[in-house]
Order: sequence, then structure tokens, then C-alpha cells
Amino acid sequence: MSVTDLSNVLKPVSQARGLPNGHYVSDEVFAAERDAVLFDTWAGLTVGARLPEPGDAVPVTFLGLPLVAVRGKDCGIRVFQNTCRHRGMILVEEAGKVGNVIRCPYHSWCYSLDGDLVTTPHVGGPGQNTHDEIDRATLGLIEIRAHVWRDVVFVNVNGNAPAFEDYAADVIGRWAEFEKPLYHGGPESRFQFDVACNWKLAVENYCESYHLPWIHPGLNSYSRLEDHYNIEAPGHYSGQGTLVYRPTLSEDGRKFPDFEGLSGQWDAGAEYLAFYPNVLFGVHRDHAYAILLEPVAKDRTIEHVEIYYAAPEVAGTEWDDLRQTNAKMWYGVFEEDVFVVEGMQRGRHGLYFDGGKFSPAMDGPTHCFHAWVAQRLQPPAAAAE
Amino acid sequence: MRDDLDAQLLAAHAADDRGALVRLYAEAGDAAEVAGDRDRAAFYLTHAYVFALEAGDARAEGLHVRLKGWGREE
Repeated sequence: MSVTDLSNVLKPVSQARGLPNGHYVSDEVFAAERDAVLFDTWAGLTVGARLPEPGDAVPVTFLGLPLVAVRGKDCGIRVFQNTCRHRGMILVEEAGKVGNVIRCPYHSWCYSLDGDLVTTPHVGGPGQNTHDEIDRATLGLIEIRAHVWRDVVFVNVNGNAPAFEDYAADVIGRWAEFEKPLYHGGPESRFQFDVACNWKLAVENYCESYHLPWIHPGLNSYSRLEDHYNIEAPGHYSGQGTLVYRPTLSEDGRKFPDFEGLSGQWDAGAEYLAFYPNVLFGVHRDHAYAILLEPVAKDRTIEHVEIYYAAPEVAGTEWDDLRQTNAKMWYGVFEEDVFVVEGMQRGRHGLYFDGGKFSPAMDGPTHCFHAWVAQRLQPPAAAAE
Repeated sequence: MRDDLDAQLLAAHAADDRGALVRLYAEAGDAAEVAGDRDRAAFYLTHAYVFALEAGDARAEGLHVRLKGWGREE
């Protein structure tokens, strides 16, 4: 199939069809989307909570590209290609402390946490660590453009996206009230799902509330469908909000501390946004989460869930029970979605499936995402037709 | 290198004991320098320097000064 045959996707939601099957089952389209949808934009790679201290590093193979996120001495996070400039050896194999420098395990070329090449042992012969042809200033690690927002480490692999603050200006403005420090809940507040679907299906399912009463019947008691509204910011993000989010986490009425200074909208409201391309955010008055979708293959995605709170003490033992209850509740909700996204993936092998007919009333956020993907893939000449 | 030092170095490598690696390679370098073998001394001190650098060990600075003084390091 042609990746440019997307005119039906770009029609208004009432007439549109979804992305064709190839966008879920074709290696060719997966590769095209890797470049246009994930490498040309700001994609979520990992979270700062996974590398809390200077000298911590997290290697991530992102769509085949070996990357490593490193917490520097200045506490900032940088992302590098995880490849030694000498013989192309992988530098960091496992998450953890690399120490004061990143030492290649092959010939021990060492890089500072800022990526500078610090020493090149024996490069000029035994005991001679310099050579006229080895210009360390030009042989530092290849740095990948990165930006941290809401603890998510975003990367623009191709280095061609607008500045993150511009790329995300709309959503940053929408959630300005939540620009507060986030405190990760700890081990139970991090979990994963390894799902047999294309990453976009996880975005699409997350965007819409239409499925909630059928797939998540438990929500009917504290966050009903009629309390939800669609959120569509074409070209940026889409999702859903609820006017009433009131789960009972504790029989004695205990509650997590709230983020400070929130307006009344958030007393019972919550919002869930798919921030294009691959990060799913949720905010509530007392906690937030990020789900990073790691596209492993055209039909395999790892969903990394990270839950955060408004105050550092929530990570302490006295909040263990409530934190575990909250994490268990979200785990249950997200687990209920697995059969859906995997079922849609299998359904995309239906030769006569036409991308799907949207509900104009309920599927706007999903169509918003499809249209964004289509626009990114559409060559300018074709888009102008 | 003395046999006992060689054995200690192998044990330190096996245990991934960075502090001991810095100490033992520096010791080997010192011995080679005393014996008048500058190339061999630089070889061992380079290893001590790399492991000290990685560990954030304060001895890295002194080792760097020695190697640089011999024209072996930038």
C-alpha cells in the first residue's frame, strides 16, 4: 500500500475513515512512521525517576536506535547515542550507575557525563594515550536533542522539530496549573504491559471515552461516561476529560495531598491526554501519571506506566497502603484495555477493513490523532491536493 | 610485574574491586618507573587512571598529572 493514500483519513470525522491496515501490519509503513511520526517529533523515551542521581544512566533501544539517558553532575539529563565513537561498541548495557565517566567496556575510551571524550588509553601505543590524529574535541558522544517535561525525557532524534516549548506550548498552557514538582511513588508505582499491538492502537484507545462503560465497568461507579468530554487540539494532542473523578481509595477517607494552588475545576475533574506521538498523560488533583509507549515492532508495544504524587512524603511508608491501592486500581484499568488493543491489531489483518467508520460524536479525539499521523506522512504536494 | 602483584590484580579484576585496581596498577606503575621502564610505567598508570576516573577516585588527578607530565595524556 502507499503511505500517501490517506485522503480519507484527512476528511472531517463525520466522513473520514481511519488509517488503513498497512499502518498496523506493514514493515514498510512502520519504518516510514518511525521517521516521520516518531523521529521528526518529540517522542517520550524514559522518565527522570529512573535515573534519580548524577551518574545514573538508562539505556533504551528506541525503534532500533541505541540511546542512553544520563543524569549529569549538574543534575540535568542528556541523551546520547549509546555507541562508542571508536569501534561502535554499546557503551551502557544496563540501567544503573555508570560512575564518574562512561567507560567503553571494549578499549576503555572514557566519556564524561556531558559526553566529552576524556581519555583514550593506549591509543598511540602502550602507555601513550594521545595521537595526533585523535582529536578528542571532535569525538565526543553523539548527543540527541532532549527535553524533560513532567519528568518524561522527550527526544527529537532527527533534530528538526521546533523547540519543545513551542512544540508543546498548547498542552503546557492547558495544564499550567499542574506545573509543579512531581514525586514518583516508588516501585509499585511503576509497571509495564507488553502488548501485541501497534503503538498507535494504544494511543487511539486512550484518547476516547466511548469504550469506558463496556471495557471498564468499574468506572461507572466513580467516573461515568456522561461525565466525560472530548479534548481535541489538532496537530498537538487529544484525549478526554471527566468532570467527576471520585474513587474511594480508603474506607477511613484518607486522601493524598493535593497539588498546590489548583482551581476548582480540579476538585473532582481529571484529564487524560495523548500527547503526540507516544506519551499518555493523566492528571488529577492529587496524583498524575505518564504512560510511555515504546514501539518495539509494528505489532508489539511496551507500555511503561509511571505514577507521581504532589508531595515527597507520599513515597514514604505511611502512605504505602493508599499508594498501593491507587497503583492497583490503575493497573486494573489499564489491564482491561489489553485485549482491546490486541484484538484491534488482529482485526487489522482483515483484508476488507477500510480503516473504520468513526462515531462523529464519540471518536473525534481518535480521528484527531489519525489526522495528525496522516499529515505527518503526507508529502506536502499530496497534502495540498 | 611481581607474581604476587599479578595475582592480586587478577583477583581485583575478578572481584571488580575498583579501589584495589587503582592501587595495584599504580603500584605496578611505580615499580616500573623505579626500574627505569617509563613505557611500562605509563602503561600501568594509564590503567590506574582509567579506573580512578570511572570511580570518581581522587587519585585520578595525580595520575593524570604524572601521565601528562610524561607526554602520555592531554
